[in-house]
Amino acid sequence: MTEHAAPGTSAQIEPATVTLTIPCTAEYVSVARLAILGIASRMPFSYDEVEDVRLAVGEACTHAVERAAAAEAESRRVAALTGSGAASKKSPAITITSMVSPKTLTIEVADNVAATSGEAGTLPDEFDDPDVDHQGLGALLIEILVDEVTIDTRADGTTIRLKKHAPAAT
Amino acid sequence: MNLTINSRAPQTDVRILDVEGEVDVYTSASLKQEISAAVSDGVKYIVLNLSKVEYLDSTGLGLLIGALKRLKENQGNLVIASPSVRIMRVFEITGLYKIFSIYPTEAEAAEKEGLQL
Repeated sequence: MTEHAAPGTSAQIEPATVTLTIPCTAEYVSVARLAILGIASRMPFSYDEVEDVRLAVGEACTHAVERAAAAEAESRRVAALTGSGAASKKSPAITITSMVSPKTLTIEVADNVAATSGEAGTLPDEFDDPDVDHQGLGALLIEILVDEVTIDTRADGTTIRLKKHAPAAT
Repeated sequence: MNLTINSRAPQTDVRILDVEGEVDVYTSASLKQEISAAVSDGVKYIVLNLSKVEYLDSTGLGLLIGALKRLKENQGNLVIASPSVRIMRVFEITGLYKIFSIYPTEAEAAEKEGLQL
């Protein structure tokens, strides 16, 4: 993780930026949440707001992990159908960039998971109810928990940008 | 923190699962396995004590919805007991509190659901 402190002499204070890159796998999502907990705690947020940011970032990372699993499954399916070995490629990663300014915390969750054909990535089992849209639930949570959300989907990855504003001083 | 699950069986068709830790995309598989095993054993009512759960995400919620549906098909139920304020908020903001039976204590869950715990 790298942290760049804003220069104190500039007329306008630049946001401090903290960048963390993790493997795009389920076991590392908690690492991202832990880091965000520390960063959000530096903001004038309430306990609930800090927890909201933690959950929103967790959901954004989970979205990337699930897409990576789907892409991996699709790659294996194609390899099995064509009889060729799965193409060797760079392991997917998630980069979480937090920009801390006095009134707003902006967090970008960017992955390098290529878009898939949209087919399910894992085989359903008895508790994977087709009526339950996990990603829809995650998207709903993100929408509710932060003030602004933008999603940029590209062929080579997705970036989810979250903004949480600090409450106005009274 | 990972997830630990302690299982109690006060009746043959009732299972209480004391869940502790974080339920997320990494750990939810173990909870899914525990619930699946209980259902395979003929359990109709599962009481999830969430008092020591400090994090629950959409993966966990999705798992609980699937389990609820499966148990209801068997004329049973998935009962949530003792969620913390934080976890309760996740059920509230998603509107899922409307489909789950959620009680502040295990004793109240037992009384309202007619279970002997």
